[in-house]
Amino acid sequence: MIAGGGFEATAEDFFEDAPVGYVTTRPDGTIIRVNRTFESWTGLTRGDLVGVKRFAELLSPGGRLFYETHCGPLLGVQGSLREIALDVLRADGSVLTTLVNSVLRPADGRRPAVVNTSIFDATERRRYEQDLLAARRREEAIARRLQLSMLSGDLPAGPGLGVAVAYHPGVRGLEVGGDWYDAFWLTEGETAGLVVGDVVGRGLDAAAAMGQLRSAVRALALTGLGPGALLGALDAYVRRHGGGRMSTVVYAELDLDSRELRLACAGHPPPLVAGPGEAARFVWDGRSQPLAAHRSGASGRPQATVALTPGSILVLYTDGLVERRSSSLVEGMERLRSRLDGARDGDPETLAAGLVRGLDSPDHDDDVCLLAVRLTPDGASRRSRRAA
Amino acid sequence: MTATERNNVVEHGPPDARPIVLAHGFGCDQNMWRYVWPAFAEDHRVILFDHVGAGGSDASAFDRERYATLGGYAEDVLEICRELALEDIVFVGHSVSAMIGGLAAAAEPERFGRLVMIGPSPRYIDDTDYTGGFSRQDIDGLLDSMDSNYLAWSGEIAPVIMGNPDRPQLGRELTESFCRADPAIARHFARVTFLSDNRSDLARMTTPSLILQCSDDVIAPEAIGSYVHSRLRGSRLVQLEATGHCPNLSAPEETVAAIRAFLAT
Repeated sequence: MIAGGGFEATAEDFFEDAPVGYVTTRPDGTIIRVNRTFESWTGLTRGDLVGVKRFAELLSPGGRLFYETHCGPLLGVQGSLREIALDVLRADGSVLTTLVNSVLRPADGRRPAVVNTSIFDATERRRYEQDLLAARRREEAIARRLQLSMLSGDLPAGPGLGVAVAYHPGVRGLEVGGDWYDAFWLTEGETAGLVVGDVVGRGLDAAAAMGQLRSAVRALALTGLGPGALLGALDAYVRRHGGGRMSTVVYAELDLDSRELRLACAGHPPPLVAGPGEAARFVWDGRSQPLAAHRSGASGRPQATVALTPGSILVLYTDGLVERRSSSLVEGMERLRSRLDGARDGDPETLAAGLVRGLDSPDHDDDVCLLAVRLTPDGASRRSRRAA
Repeated sequence: MTATERNNVVEHGPPDARPIVLAHGFGCDQNMWRYVWPAFAEDHRVILFDHVGAGGSDASAFDRERYATLGGYAEDVLEICRELALEDIVFVGHSVSAMIGGLAAAAEPERFGRLVMIGPSPRYIDDTDYTGGFSRQDIDGLLDSMDSNYLAWSGEIAPVIMGNPDRPQLGRELTESFCRADPAIARHFARVTFLSDNRSDLARMTTPSLILQCSDDVIAPEAIGSYVHSRLRGSRLVQLEATGHCPNLSAPEETVAAIRAFLAT
C-alpha cells in the first residue's frame, strides 16, 4: 500500500503521463486542464490551451464541423461520447489521428459541470480501418464490374420480336444486388430464350452465383429441355455446386411462329402478359419453389403454356419492381399491372423505361431488373419480311 | 404519406395559439429543442419536426433530386405549414435551417410572421470577397469524418450508450434515437448544407427577422452573422454570451429570452 501523499503523487504522475491524452473542458468546450501526454503528442502547451481554446478548435476543419454539429449536441444530451474518430491538429499543423471518449460530469453543488475527455492515439487502427474500407470499396467495384459485364450484351431482335431491358440498381445499396437477366436466340429468328432471376445475397458472392446460373441456363437451354425440365436441371446444378441456393428465376421460351410462350417460374414473381385490347394479367401457372428449396427428384418442374396474340407484351421482372416498404406486394403488383395498362404503346425500350420510372425516389433500396418483350402486331408481316 | 408523418411532426401547447415552428439543423434532430420548446408551450402552438433522414422522419421519403438543394427542405417546411394550416408563424431555424426557413418565408411570405435565425450562414465556403470560414477540402474532411464515424452516426452502438449509468434520467427511447440519422442521407444533407450558397436569396427574405449570434462559433462566426444582418432588411442582430454553435442546448434560457424579447417587439 502506498500511504496518503505518496498515492496522490502517483495518481498525479499517472494522470500526467498516462498513455492517453486527457483534456478537461467546461461544458461549452473551453479547455481547463490537459495532461503532459496530450502536450507532448500535440506540441501544444497548457499555456496555449487552458482558458484559451475550445476543444473543437483543436480539430481539423472537417472534424470541427462534425464535432460541433453532431458530437457536441450528443454530449450535451446524452452525457457521453464513445469512440469518436477525430483528427487533432498538432502545433506544427500535422494530424494526430485519435479515438475520443468523453463523459459529462454534471455540477454537484460543490463543483461545476465539466467534460472529461480521453484521447487515444489511433494512428495504426485508423490506417487499418481505412485499408479495410478501401478493400471493401474495391470489392464492391469488382462486383459491380462483374455484374455489369453480365448485364450487357446483345438482346435478340428482329422481325416479329422486340426486347428491351431496364436495370435499376437500388438507390442506397453500396453492394451490387443479385438481380440478373438474359435473352438469347435458341433458334435464330424463331425461338427466343428469356430469363430474369434474383440471386440471394449481395456483393461478390451474389455476382459469382449470378454468373454461374446464367451460364448454366444458357448451356441447358440449348439442349432443348424446355422450361420445366431446364429448371429441374438447374435445381440439380445448384444443389451440387451450392452457389445460387434459394434463388428465384423465371425462364421462358417464346416461339415466334406459333406465338406460343412456354415458361416455368421457380419462386419468382409471376410474369405479366398483355394482349392487344385485353387487360394485362399475371401468369400464375407453371410455378414452383425457389432453386434447391425442396427435395424433389430431378424430374423437372411444372411449366405453363400461354398462347399470345400478335402485338402482345410480356414483362418479366424482379421483386424490386413491385415491393415497397410502404405498401404490400399485392398493391405493388396491382400498380405494375395498371401502369402497363396505362401505357401499352411504344417500342419495348419506351415500355421498359416507363415501367421503372419513378423508382429513383421513394422507398427504394432494392435492385430492379425488367425485361419487356413485344411481339410485332402482325405476325404475317414478320414472316413476309423474313421471306423477303 | 402526409408531410406531418414524413417529417415526424410533434406538437405541444394550445392548438389555437400562435404557432412557433422549431427547425433543427444538420447533425441532429428535433431533440435539439428539448430545453427550448417547453418555454413556449404555455402560450404557443409548438411544432417540432425532423428533416427527412434525421431522427424519426420517414427515411423512405428521401429523394436525391428533391433534396438536392435547400429548396427541397424548404418545400417540406411549407408542406407541413399548409397541412397544419399555420399562419402568422414564428419560425426558429437553427444552423442550416435558418436558411431553410428563410427560403420558405421568401416563397410564401404571407404565412410567416417572424423569423429567428440561430447561427445562420448563407455560405460556408470562402469566395472572392467573402469569408465563409471553410474550404471545399474542409467539407470533404467532414464527409470523411462522417465515414469514419459511421457507427456512432447510424446508432448501431446505441445499446452501449443506452447502458450509461450516469444518466439514468434519459429514457431508453431518447438515448436510442438522439441525433441518429440514416448515414447515407446524412452524408447527402452534409453536402447540400455546406456547399449551399444562399447569399443572393437573403434579399428575398422580407419577414421581420432576428439573428442570434453566438460567441466563438466556429461554424458561423460573428462576421457571418453581421453579413446576414446587413443583407436582411430590417433584421435585428443579438449577440449571445453563449459560446459554440448550439445555444439551444448550451444556453436555452438565454436563447428563449432573446426570442421572447424579439416577439414582444
